[in-house]
Amino acid sequence: MRLTLSPWFAACSLALAALAAATASAATRPHYGGTLYVEVRQSFETPDPPTTGYGMPDLARAFVITRWEAGRRAVYEADENTAGGRPFLDAVEIEMGRPLRDQSIDLELGKADVVELGPSELRRQPAGRRVWGSAPVRLVALVFGPRVEDARIREALALAVDRAAIHNVLLQRQGEVSAALLPQWLSGYAFLFPVVADAAKARTLVAGIPAAARAISLGVEDAAARPIAERIALNARDAGLAVSVVPQAAGADARLVEVRIGSLDPAVALAGMAASLGLPEPPRANSPEALYAAELALLGGFRVIPLFHLPDVYGVNPRVKGGPGITPLGEWRFENLWVEGGRP
Amino acid sequence: MTFRTRLLLIFTVAVVASVALVEWLVTDSTRQAFERMETQRVNGLVAQFRKEFAQRGQEIVRAVNGIAASEAAVNIAISADYSPYYNEAASLAAAHGLGLLELVAGDGTIVSSAEWPARFGYKEEWLAEPADWEARGAFLKREELPDGVTVSLVAVGTARAGDRKLYVAGGQQLDREFLSSLLLPEGMRVLLYRNLEARFSPAELVGGRADDLPRVRTLIEQVQQRKREIGRTLGSGSSAETFHALPLTGYQNDLLGVLLIASSRRELVELESVLRRTGVGVAAAGILLGIALSWWATARVTRPVQRLAESAARVAAGDWGATVESSSTGEIGQLARAFNRMTRELVAQRERLVQAERVAAWRELARRLAHELKNPLFPLQITVENMQRARERYPEQFDEVFREGAATLLTELANLKQIVGRFSDFARMPAPEMQPVNFNGLVSETLKLFEPQLAQARVRADTALDPQLRPVQADPEQMTRVLRNLILNAIDAMPEGGTLTVRTSALEGGVRLEVSDTGQGLTPEESSRLFTPYYTTKTHGTGLGLAIVQSVVSDHQGRVSVESAPGKGTTFLIELG
Repeated sequence: MRLTLSPWFAACSLALAALAAATASAATRPHYGGTLYVEVRQSFETPDPPTTGYGMPDLARAFVITRWEAGRRAVYEADENTAGGRPFLDAVEIEMGRPLRDQSIDLELGKADVVELGPSELRRQPAGRRVWGSAPVRLVALVFGPRVEDARIREALALAVDRAAIHNVLLQRQGEVSAALLPQWLSGYAFLFPVVADAAKARTLVAGIPAAARAISLGVEDAAARPIAERIALNARDAGLAVSVVPQAAGADARLVEVRIGSLDPAVALAGMAASLGLPEPPRANSPEALYAAELALLGGFRVIPLFHLPDVYGVNPRVKGGPGITPLGEWRFENLWVEGGRP
Repeated sequence: MTFRTRLLLIFTVAVVASVALVEWLVTDSTRQAFERMETQRVNGLVAQFRKEFAQRGQEIVRAVNGIAASEAAVNIAISADYSPYYNEAASLAAAHGLGLLELVAGDGTIVSSAEWPARFGYKEEWLAEPADWEARGAFLKREELPDGVTVSLVAVGTARAGDRKLYVAGGQQLDREFLSSLLLPEGMRVLLYRNLEARFSPAELVGGRADDLPRVRTLIEQVQQRKREIGRTLGSGSSAETFHALPLTGYQNDLLGVLLIASSRRELVELESVLRRTGVGVAAAGILLGIALSWWATARVTRPVQRLAESAARVAAGDWGATVESSSTGEIGQLARAFNRMTRELVAQRERLVQAERVAAWRELARRLAHELKNPLFPLQITVENMQRARERYPEQFDEVFREGAATLLTELANLKQIVGRFSDFARMPAPEMQPVNFNGLVSETLKLFEPQLAQARVRADTALDPQLRPVQADPEQMTRVLRNLILNAIDAMPEGGTLTVRTSALEGGVRLEVSDTGQGLTPEESSRLFTPYYTTKTHGTGLGLAIVQSVVSDHQGRVSVESAPGKGTTFLIELG
């Protein structure tokens, strides 16, 4: 089997171009000023601001934290001495733990400049609304705990899930349906993993299993993901599995989790995802074939069932200029942005 | 039991039975009347509930039709892509106060479900069936929910946009909340059994109390079998309730539930209780009054009878002149007058009898005296005539004849004196002087005195004396006389010889003495007259011996009797103590 490498190279080229542009323009960057108001759903309850991961940690490149209210608010101010030159913005003020619906309203009312958009909110945005979107970098997957020992049950659930219906309705066709860990744009072979539901085959698999063993608890900590979990439970019911959705992931038989791609290098990204999902470390792959084989091996036991790859999507206030403010991997790049006028 | 007591008892029983019967009839007819009223009241309440239930169905129909006619529904109907509306049902249901709402495309595909949002894209086959849902109104339906199956009251509306249509199926779950929202009359409550399992399931009983389950289970199972309305009164006392169990059928005529409308019987029971208490009080008063009247009537009726009985008792006790006073003109008066006549007759007859007996006794005494005196008088006469003849014809022998005659005269005069003495003794019987007497010793000593006479008469004397016999209070002299008379009587009864047997045996605090002979015995008539003074079956004797025996024994508060039959000897029995 031969695999095309074009999406992989395209992603790498895109990232390198963005990095070069930022470096070249830093020396001549004007001082436009202004404060960028950002709202996020995630809430960091830590004593100090996060330094790894995506989002706020990305600001450390050109801003310094000046105010930190754990779980509520963070204020970053422009770093006059940053290597790439002072950012246009004077400050970035972030409000944490804001529900998607409220973020959308705040954007509509002009109280926020940059907000996250979920599938439903994205659909409701007025025509002409400026939207930043990353590549599908977030993997939504089912991860089984050690209690679900029977592989037939795991495979049956993988076969029962109607990904297309969830994608069309609950995700409003955002992102892409996938049964692979790495997205199609990064690996180029994700389409080889079957995504079509087969409830009949799933029923056959679980036919001989006692009813008690067919009862599974599915933990979902993110309330926004609960409709997806409910739909999975309904699909599982058609296959003869009794899936109950619980709000606590700890102690559940299975979890609905979201994992981000950490690198534009597919092999590195696969290794990172395997580590995040509790899978064995895959062998270092030097070719797409080897990478495919490694991913196939990781998914062979149905311990992890990939469902979707979703992009990061942000709604942007028209007064925000410059950008886009995110990279294809969803990293924040606010140093090239500025806002018109004062605080709304 | 006296006649008066018995009569009072009969009257009392009659009064109690009559009052109880009347009380029962009154109570029963009253209870039936109240039951009819209660049934009418419950039927009214049930009708009111049905109306309330139907009204709730109409409210659901109005809400569903309102949604179907809304712009939102039309927009969904004409939309080429239903996916943006998957969450629409929840907001519409909340806005119209519906617990259940599904928006379903014309082909039966669920666009949005309020009760189970995850069901988008699934098919509602029953909606795709050809039916006039608007005309059907609200109906019951088995509803599948994420947490189980339930029964719902739903209606279906249709939003049309050209050739496209959208079904709006909405309603309410028949659950505890639904039941509590119904406006129920005072004293009524509603329970619902959801017939979702093949067998009776306690978990499907909604709205009941813990103690309802065992009571209503049979009723529910009967409705499940018969599929028709059943009414029953369950429980007892003031906690009793009249249950109307209504089968709830779905649009396919399948039994989806049993609605139990319970109406408290507390008021009825309390009313019946008051009536019962009043009835019992009135009955008790009636019975007491009846008993009092019976007492009075009984006393009035039995008083003459009681007097009659008392007079009869006095007559029996020897007061032959007892009479009864009665002013009654009825049967009791006639009886009293007859009784008085009878006692008068008895007194007259008794006087006549005494007089006759006295005459007979005098005659018997005269006969006896004549007989007893004739025997010594005849020798006296012969002796005197011999003495006269000797003086006249043989003067030389007169002295010798005189001596012999004088001796004979003296002998016969002694006999006369003895006869007179016996009569005198009988007339002057002294009172007994009581002291402890050893009857065994008395018998032995007395028999010893008679040994020569017994030997002469060839009579053998046997004794059977009880060694356990203790001394008994008696007059020893009189008892010796009694025993002597009986022994003499026995010797006389055995002129050809025989056996005389004397037995003693101990009685409790007394003695039983038997004197038997082996003579010819007595006829029953002789036995009955044996103790009559001056009566004798012998050619000699005064006829006073056994009379003296009876007199002495009677003075000792004892009893004497005779057992005899012709040819079988005679036994005299004396019991003292």
